[in-house]
Amino acid sequence: MQSWRRKSLWLALSASWLLLVLLGGFSLLRLALPPRPSPRAPQGWPRWLDADLLQSFSQPGELPEDAAQPPRVPHGGSCNWGSCFDTSKCRGDGLKVFVYPAAGPISETHRKILASIEGSRFHTFSPAGACLLLLLSLDAQTGECSSMPLQWNRGRNHLVLRLHPAPCPRTFQLGQAMVAEASPTVDSFRAGFDVALPFLPEAHPLRGGAPGQLRQHSPQPRIALLALEEERGGWRTAGTNSSACSWDGRCEQDPGPGQTQRWEMLPNATFCLISGHRPQAASRFLQALQAGCIPVLLSPRWELPFSEVIDWTKAAIVADERLLLQVLAALQEMSPAKVLALRQQTQFLWDAYFSSVEKVIHTTLEVIQDRIFGTSAHPSLLWNSLPGALLALSTFSTSPQDFPFYYLQQGSRPEGRFSALIWVGASDQPPLKLIQAVAGSQHCAQILVLWSNERPLPSRWTETAVPLTVIDGRRKVSDRFFPYSTIRTDAILSLDAHSSLSTSEVDFAFVVWQSFPERMVGFLTSSHFWDEAHGGWGYTAERTNEFSMVLTMAAFYHRYYHTLFTHSLPKALRTLADEAPTCVDVLMNFLVAAVTKLPPIKVPYGKQRQEAAPLVPGGPEPGPKLQAPDPNCINQIAAAFGHMPLRSSHLRLDPVLFKDPVSVQRKKYRSLEKP
Amino acid sequence: ASTFSLLRCQKSCSLWKMEECEEEAVCVIMCASVKYNIRGPALIPRMKTKHRIYYITLFSIVLLGLIATGMFQFWPHSIESSNDWNVEKRSVRDVPVVRLPADSPIPERGDLSCRMHTCFDVYRCGFNPKNKIKVYIYALKKYVDDFGVPVSNTISREYNELLTAISDSDYYTDDINRACLFVPSIDVLNQNTLRIKETAQALAQLSRWDRGTNHLLFNMLPGGPPDYNTALDVPRDRALLAGGGFSTWTYRQGYDVSIPVYSPLSAEVDLPEKGPGPRRYFLLSSQVGLHPEYREDVEALQVKHGESVLVLDKCTNLSEGVLSVRKRCHKHQVFDYPQVLQEATFCVVLRGARLGQAVLSDVLQAGCVPVVIADSYILPFSEVLDWKRASVVVPEEKMSDVYSILQSIPQRQIEEMQRQARWFWEAYFQSIKAIALATLQIINDRIYPYAAISYEEWNDPPAVKWGSVSNPLFLPLIPPQSQGFTAIVLTYDRVESLFRVITEVSKVPSLSKLLVVWNNQNKNPPEDSLWPKIRVPLKVVRTAENKLSNRFFPYDEIETEAVLAIDDDIIMLTSDELQFGYEVWREFPDRLVGYPGRLHLWDHEMNKWKYESEWTNEVSMVLTGAAFYHKYFNYLYTYKMPGDIKNWVDAHMNCEDIAMNFLVANVTGKAVIKVTPRKKFKCPECTAIDGLSLDQTHMVERSECINKFASVFGTMPLKVVEHRADPVLYKDDFPEKLKSFPNIGSL
Repeated sequence: MQSWRRKSLWLALSASWLLLVLLGGFSLLRLALPPRPSPRAPQGWPRWLDADLLQSFSQPGELPEDAAQPPRVPHGGSCNWGSCFDTSKCRGDGLKVFVYPAAGPISETHRKILASIEGSRFHTFSPAGACLLLLLSLDAQTGECSSMPLQWNRGRNHLVLRLHPAPCPRTFQLGQAMVAEASPTVDSFRAGFDVALPFLPEAHPLRGGAPGQLRQHSPQPRIALLALEEERGGWRTAGTNSSACSWDGRCEQDPGPGQTQRWEMLPNATFCLISGHRPQAASRFLQALQAGCIPVLLSPRWELPFSEVIDWTKAAIVADERLLLQVLAALQEMSPAKVLALRQQTQFLWDAYFSSVEKVIHTTLEVIQDRIFGTSAHPSLLWNSLPGALLALSTFSTSPQDFPFYYLQQGSRPEGRFSALIWVGASDQPPLKLIQAVAGSQHCAQILVLWSNERPLPSRWTETAVPLTVIDGRRKVSDRFFPYSTIRTDAILSLDAHSSLSTSEVDFAFVVWQSFPERMVGFLTSSHFWDEAHGGWGYTAERTNEFSMVLTMAAFYHRYYHTLFTHSLPKALRTLADEAPTCVDVLMNFLVAAVTKLPPIKVPYGKQRQEAAPLVPGGPEPGPKLQAPDPNCINQIAAAFGHMPLRSSHLRLDPVLFKDPVSVQRKKYRSLEKP
Repeated sequence: ASTFSLLRCQKSCSLWKMEECEEEAVCVIMCASVKYNIRGPALIPRMKTKHRIYYITLFSIVLLGLIATGMFQFWPHSIESSNDWNVEKRSVRDVPVVRLPADSPIPERGDLSCRMHTCFDVYRCGFNPKNKIKVYIYALKKYVDDFGVPVSNTISREYNELLTAISDSDYYTDDINRACLFVPSIDVLNQNTLRIKETAQALAQLSRWDRGTNHLLFNMLPGGPPDYNTALDVPRDRALLAGGGFSTWTYRQGYDVSIPVYSPLSAEVDLPEKGPGPRRYFLLSSQVGLHPEYREDVEALQVKHGESVLVLDKCTNLSEGVLSVRKRCHKHQVFDYPQVLQEATFCVVLRGARLGQAVLSDVLQAGCVPVVIADSYILPFSEVLDWKRASVVVPEEKMSDVYSILQSIPQRQIEEMQRQARWFWEAYFQSIKAIALATLQIINDRIYPYAAISYEEWNDPPAVKWGSVSNPLFLPLIPPQSQGFTAIVLTYDRVESLFRVITEVSKVPSLSKLLVVWNNQNKNPPEDSLWPKIRVPLKVVRTAENKLSNRFFPYDEIETEAVLAIDDDIIMLTSDELQFGYEVWREFPDRLVGYPGRLHLWDHEMNKWKYESEWTNEVSMVLTGAAFYHKYFNYLYTYKMPGDIKNWVDAHMNCEDIAMNFLVANVTGKAVIKVTPRKKFKCPECTAIDGLSLDQTHMVERSECINKFASVFGTMPLKVVEHRADPVLYKDDFPEKLKSFPNIGSL
């Protein structure tokens, strides 16, 4: 027994020795011998001993040497912006567009597009004064092709607009004309000269258009990761398992019966895989965009729409189809923050540039105008963040800080002063009391009186602490939203002569506006509703639990909305406002809501005066201005906008201690609570 | 060996097999020896003491040896792989010579239709977890023709710098088989210094040439007299070209990379940054050797606009020893170059025979806004850089109008352009290294687009990047009411109070789910039958540790976007108040919407932040004892909280709500929304809504939290506002019955 134990002990001992020798020996050997130079090339680029002695690639004397070459004329055949577009015609008021009238009978769409361009600020009726001549080639189905237009001039300063890729037999050479075409192939596309349009379906709405499908910011839990296109239209969602896809980009039918779901029109998934060729892929792309499904484009051979100005990397992923598996792995591992950002951007782009034919055409013209403007074009930020370049006019400013939308991105704040703009209408007395109240505000920088009264201007005004300017208006209601150059602050307090406000109301409302500089902050509200009986929109100024508009007779907003009101609204709408003065409130609210997609803000308004001197339209003192607007007005405006932009709000912003059971002495805005 | 390691050993011994590897062998032996140590006397009873000592010593030696061996197995690699051992010190003159036969193959001319998906072999770059391409550099060789005449200068200083920069970067690999991009060491930066046909032959004989696929050539001075092509004339087949003078006719969009022409002056002259603002000259032309026609044009500008325009030329009468490159003259006045560029607001960058001009780099360095007059020129890195922000491009035919074009630019925009110009130089022009890395980054972004660098990262100067806030929930959406919200109650053991909260909250119409986070590991939650019966699903989540951050964990059970965080003692909020809070959240889904508000103040005496819970006119925080917020913030709190704040909160068991306020304000740049009036509490014991007593130490602790978080965030992100949200008709003279939320503010 003992010998067995001893033997086993010895065995263990010798085994350990053997191990030690085997393992340790090698390491010792390795340590003892100096490492031989590796047989491979030395790691990294060598540090040359004589690196300092090397000569420069261009000797000092050499650079000036490459001189004396006369300017060259561009090669024939191809065009670029500098060589084929004559910007000298576009001086002055920017882009003016002449549209060739269609020869012969035209389709309904064609007529509507013509009307839409004619209503826009770009349009001119004279081909001589135009800087861009637009040739619509729209009617794809009829196969009808336009003939050579009169002012053709080898296509110089012409834009041929093709909404649908119709293989129209070319009756004339395009020459130097630009082509705006739905998803052109990358090979034929002349970057910086042609314009890539989206591939619009036949039934694309002319105006307004359906909003994006996204109802919430983050993807719903358990939503499918991928949607794949079906052979015959529609979408199929696949699980997160990438093994269903093979290397060549084709994805096998998902085996699980419950996992596969078919979607006729809009996919419901986080990512939409789009491969294949145009036009099918291009139309899928637009569907995905609308659905908030992040498009993953596999080696598209076509130019993405408006790629000149839209930063598509913020809304889509353009990947190489040959790396499909790696792309799928990257999608699965994409951080929630990135998914969130991409999804939201799809919706913004859809809504800003693609949801209607009108937006697509206006975007096209805006792109060309930006080329003409050069340095005063939209900065990239304006194109690629809310509310988009169609609603952020570069004629207002090219500095993002001047707009109400980009304070956060710029890390700046709205300035702490406002201008009061008091509109004195036909039957109003000079608003001396109001001027005193407003001038008493510590934030007031200036007061402007817009005299729109039949009587002559009074020669004397009250003494105020702030400068007072009187503007002689043109007796039009839309005047009150004109961008007067005398307005020097970002914030405007719009008032009527018969409005009545206290200094502390003004102060509080202005402080609130500073938190919401892109919205309207008002005291009195009204709301819209769908009137079943009449089958149209209705309007009420009665006090309700919610509201969607604030009255501009007492409201704060950013001065940019004056520019937008005057320069971007169609003429017809401004005329409507002038003819039916009560409409102007509704119009302004529509405009701001269409830009912000958010409701306005209501702040408290002294109760006592609300009853004694009602500002509410339809109150006991119905002046000519105080009637509730004609329901026709709201319906006409809604029709012109193409959709109902107004949003309702349930809340009012009060001072923090408003009517709290605490000593009045502690409250900053105590006079707001006086009975 | 301690008992602990013994236990571990015994456990592992039973699991491990002896044959597997040496570390395991160590363990086995150790176990054995430990066993003998403990039970030694009984095991070897007959052995003499001398022998026993001998055996034990022997074992110890063996053990030590084995441990040492094991250590060596892990250690020595790092000792060996220091670079100096391997990199040989050599001279450029000593590189191997390669003789090129006159009839060796020549690559085809560049294919103008090349795109990444047609000419680039992306499979070589596949499956890379870091999303970084691998770049291989060919070894340096000296090429000679049949007569022994060198094909070109071996290598220029700049190309050596460029290859060194690539070699030092993360992109570099020395394994030719793993590489996705190949950079020849044949220097083609300046076409004038090389023989075109022979250089092409040298390229063609590279070991992985394969028609130039995935090869990258750097060229800054293309073309030569008389016609000065705008791209390198060396036939290169499918190779990518990083070229410094592309025109729209030769540039293959999305395939080639347009790079700057490096200015060697950048390294020589140190121009400190000069703040933006008006400068002495409005417009300056500093180029020498302009074409006579152009010189006439710029001189005409000077005649027309006088003092504000300065046109410089070569100096003719410089004394000996003065570097003519560093001087410019106007008539007899001598100016230092490039310092004079800092005196001008705009600087003309006119085309010479070549489109790309090194003066562009000097101009940017001086913070002078370049006025680029070179039709069809592709500006450097134009694929990613937004040149509209830093330059003015004027067509050649408009040269006479330059002055009026520039004058129409507002001063504010000019200043931004000046800042931007300097930033472009600092980031992408300053050194050969910057140029090389930007080029590789552009190619990398094409291959791994999902990991690409954004427009802002490329273009925004650091000051803008630092100050700007990009709200993660930027889309203005009012989420549908039907979605409802998920209430999350964090509880430890106050079951009775918890049940009351559950019952109260369940009365809120929009509640869609209730989640109880049971933070007590020592006690089981009550049995299912004891919980209140409510109309919505109730889930209990048990946590592994009693941590405050459990309240903000992004549980899979949360299916709605809106989350109501509520303490287990908040029973005073009415159903109307909670429902109204949810409605307010829908209008502000990117904010914290809460009930009790708090404020941070700057304490001038102590010179630090102070926490304030009194009745103030301002609010900057809401307590998460009762607050609505987007569930995405749970993800941010758990995974993206800066610094050690999360652990700090868990360790101190306090301030998780302040941390959440900081996080949301920092990421959205927006203030909180406090809803409904402040409440007074009936019960004397619950003086504070945050469940802790309002004593002095508590306030001090909370103040410390604010100071700690502000230092971690590096700024004070909280925003102070003077408003709160009430229902539209709150306290209005209006029939209560007709109000949507009548029961607000009641006690």
